Amino acid sequence: MDLIRILLSRFFALFRAKRLDADLDEELRAHIELAVEENLKRGMPAQAARTQALRSFGGVTQTRERYRTQREIPLLEMLAQNIRFGLRQMRRAPGFALVALLTLALGIGATTAIFSVVDAVMLKPLPFPTAARLVQVGSLIAATGKGGSASYLDFADLRDENHAFDGMAAFRTGGLIWIGPHEPVRLEGVAVSANLFSLLGTTPALGRSFRPEEDSPAATGGTDPVILSYGLWQREFSSDASVLGRTLQLGNQAYTVVGVMPKGFQFPIQAEPTELWTTLAIDARGGANALTVQRGAHYLDVVGLLKPSVPIQSAEAEMAAIAASLNKLHPENRARTIRLTPLLQSLVGDLGAPLLILMGAVGCVLLIVCANIANLMLARATARRMEIAMRIALGASRGRVLCQLLTESLMLGLIGGGLGIAVAAGLVRVLVRIMPVDIPRLNDAAVDIRLLFFAILVSLLAGILSGLFPALQASKLSLTGSLQKSGRTSGGEDKGSNRLRSSLVVSEVALAVTLLLGTGLLLQSFLHLTKVNPGFNPNHVLTYQLDAPAGMQSDQIPGFYREVVARMTALPGMTSASAAAALPLTGDHVRSSIEIEGQPTPLGSRSQADFNIVEPEFFRTVGTTLVSGRDFTPRDNVKSTPVVIVNRALAGLYFPNQSPIGKHVRPGIGNGYGPGEPPMREIVGVIEDIKQSGPGVEAEPEVYVPFAQCPWDSVFIAVHIATDPEGAVSAARRQVTSLNKNAPIYHVKTLDQYFSDSVAEPRFISLLLSSFATLSVLLACLGIYGVVSYSVLQRTHEIGIRMALGADSGRVVRAVLSKGMVLALIGVTIGLAGSFALVHVLSSLLFGVRATDPLTFAGAAFALLCFAALASYIPARRAAAVNPMTALRND
Amino acid sequence: MGDKSDVLQGTLDLMVLKTLEAMGPLHGYGVARRIEQVSGNTLSLNQGTIYPALLRLEQRKWIKSAWGVSESNRRAKFYSLSLLGRKQITEEIENWERIATTMARFLEPAKYECAIQRYES
Repeated sequence: MDLIRILLSRFFALFRAKRLDADLDEELRAHIELAVEENLKRGMPAQAARTQALRSFGGVTQTRERYRTQREIPLLEMLAQNIRFGLRQMRRAPGFALVALLTLALGIGATTAIFSVVDAVMLKPLPFPTAARLVQVGSLIAATGKGGSASYLDFADLRDENHAFDGMAAFRTGGLIWIGPHEPVRLEGVAVSANLFSLLGTTPALGRSFRPEEDSPAATGGTDPVILSYGLWQREFSSDASVLGRTLQLGNQAYTVVGVMPKGFQFPIQAEPTELWTTLAIDARGGANALTVQRGAHYLDVVGLLKPSVPIQSAEAEMAAIAASLNKLHPENRARTIRLTPLLQSLVGDLGAPLLILMGAVGCVLLIVCANIANLMLARATARRMEIAMRIALGASRGRVLCQLLTESLMLGLIGGGLGIAVAAGLVRVLVRIMPVDIPRLNDAAVDIRLLFFAILVSLLAGILSGLFPALQASKLSLTGSLQKSGRTSGGEDKGSNRLRSSLVVSEVALAVTLLLGTGLLLQSFLHLTKVNPGFNPNHVLTYQLDAPAGMQSDQIPGFYREVVARMTALPGMTSASAAAALPLTGDHVRSSIEIEGQPTPLGSRSQADFNIVEPEFFRTVGTTLVSGRDFTPRDNVKSTPVVIVNRALAGLYFPNQSPIGKHVRPGIGNGYGPGEPPMREIVGVIEDIKQSGPGVEAEPEVYVPFAQCPWDSVFIAVHIATDPEGAVSAARRQVTSLNKNAPIYHVKTLDQYFSDSVAEPRFISLLLSSFATLSVLLACLGIYGVVSYSVLQRTHEIGIRMALGADSGRVVRAVLSKGMVLALIGVTIGLAGSFALVHVLSSLLFGVRATDPLTFAGAAFALLCFAALASYIPARRAAAVNPMTALRND
Repeated sequence: MGDKSDVLQGTLDLMVLKTLEAMGPLHGYGVARRIEQVSGNTLSLNQGTIYPALLRLEQRKWIKSAWGVSESNRRAKFYSLSLLGRKQITEEIENWERIATTMARFLEPAKYECAIQRYES
């Protein structure tokens, strides 16, 4: 009750401040007058009576101040006053304000920008109503923990036998050639199980969703249903609602448009936007060869919707049990196990670590910025000592002074934050542009409400961090000392302030050296990556993808590709051309079981190898060395001996210390030979290992078979062009279209681009870290410079005396220099020790360099000490130039 | 902020209440003089500190104030106990006595020890 009464009375007092002030003044005046009257009555002389009255009253100003504090909600009133005063202060020292605001804007801007990326990619919930309960259902090979895709039959069993899920859906990506009103064009498509959209909790904006029975071709008849993306509907059908019911010819298959998804809907969430969705009915065609009837065909991604109360661990346990029973039922397949990952987490994948490291780095930069501002404020507080002492003498309480200084630093923080948001908005756009292309959801990164909130939070934090120490320091000021000393020469309280400034600089240096070290490690690792011999030569190779034209019989396909390759000889500057089912670094790898001659193994227990299909001349075109044996020739076909080329890794693993040429292996894929077990193939050549998954990943055992013995419906064409590969694109396109107008080429890219994309992420991270490290080293040097030159200023008198007594300028320079270097050395030592404990977080990102690489540690330390020396040398020179006469006279 | 009035805060409030109870309506100067006199000038009280205390009590509605005219015909603000304040005095006195007894318990043995020390030296 008391509290409420007091608060109410205080609150209303806020609005009557003027009148209440006048009342108080009158009351106090009356008090003094009453006292004077009484003193006069006792016979005191007039002057003495008044002095006595004032003395026994105590400070009138203090009383008034304390009375006001008691009267109102002091914070509100004081805040307004403090802000007005702070603004005046900023106007009076524009240089200080400018430097502080710029530094803060950079620090807050960089932090906010990086956070916006982290937020967009890692934190923002997925845009589905059921997002929180969606999990990725990964089907892994139990022995290796690799894989992740499920076969249709496995998916159906997992879906039907579990009790933990409200539903389970499967999908696979795959482009479709639209043979429409104009040139055939390839659209990004996804084939999904019919229940996918209801699982995600979304419905089409127009038309209907897939019906459960539409997963089977029996229900759809000749034409499958298709749902369009909003973008495709706008672009190709000018947002016309009559598109529903229209028939589209996509590849071999006719489809009926049944729906259009809402604007912005994407599934799966990936960098390349999906343009249409079809059902898995397409994979169920082809009788015994259909993908959906082969338990060994692991080609589907599976998502599940957990029941609301079921924790992911118990669902995973149930899944594992189902998988185990499936393994027992189907021993011909390799044993598999199930791993559940929240869908959001599975999207973030390996990106988590680098993004968090960037976040940590930018946080370090922000801390350095705060330390720097704190340093500036300390220097300012020292310069303002007179003013503060005066305020305390005039009745301001120490708490009041502390509040004033804190308000000023908070104001700096918030204004800096405002500027920082502008910086962040620009920076985000730059980041999105230079970021590696294949990060899902990156394009959504923008400064929004959440980010504003974050920026304000960071600004407040920066304000408090940078203002608290200086304010505490200043409010402890000794009154008489400061007023007497006219605030110029060093006094007792300066020691504390100097120590504080020094420790701030030391921490700046420590943070900067940590960043520098991390950057050094990542840069080295990046350099190592680019220097790795990938086993092929990416220069001057133009590549594109091509699908077998609609309606072409499977036995005609190899001939078609061979014809395309032959047409490439017409390109200017062309030296060789070939085709392959997969190119290095494209991520399109097929894996197959493999059996070695003389080691009969049941199907479920065979080892695996990367599997690729190539035309003759492929290795020459991409610059891979044939170690022994021969390349494929046009004479290798279904009528000749089944042949295979293996890489050095496979040869070393299965045929150690002997020539593998003439030996036999049996890859599990061989569809040129019809149903039944694929043939044993004779090894005719061994090639150098190719780093298929990026320069940092060791090559796996690999087999290559000729196209003529294994038709494949999608292919990469590679053309080595000695002159200008990018200039040959349109000629290549013309050649293919003239051969068959229903075979558009897509994903046109040089092998060089694939290579540079494969190191885009480490390059991007080292680039960003480098800029953060540069900024932090710069700020740390500024800090050292500030502290050293301030100490020179304080010691001008002393230096003058020393020089008058015969110290030469070299000695003075050394003395000043050593002050800066001692700080730097302490900082570097702390930083290195801290880094040593921290660097292991980088390990997963490093290649070819250990996290505790002594050379990098030494290098970072040396670089920082050099910069520190430079930063202290400038004030040292100034100290040496002190004219003893002037220095002494000034006092 | 460690100044004198803070240490005295609780006691000062009670002194003001007791003064108003004994004297009836009184202006600030009167309250201050009365406290000085009763304490026999052993308390070095800045008279100014009385005003935040008066305001504090008024905010709690334990006392009320009104402008009036002093004996010497000067306009001054007069304070008097409210009904709530009259009730509160009993409680405040109990509070104070509890603290005083507790303090005494702490102080007594110290006196005793001091005496021993003096004797030994």
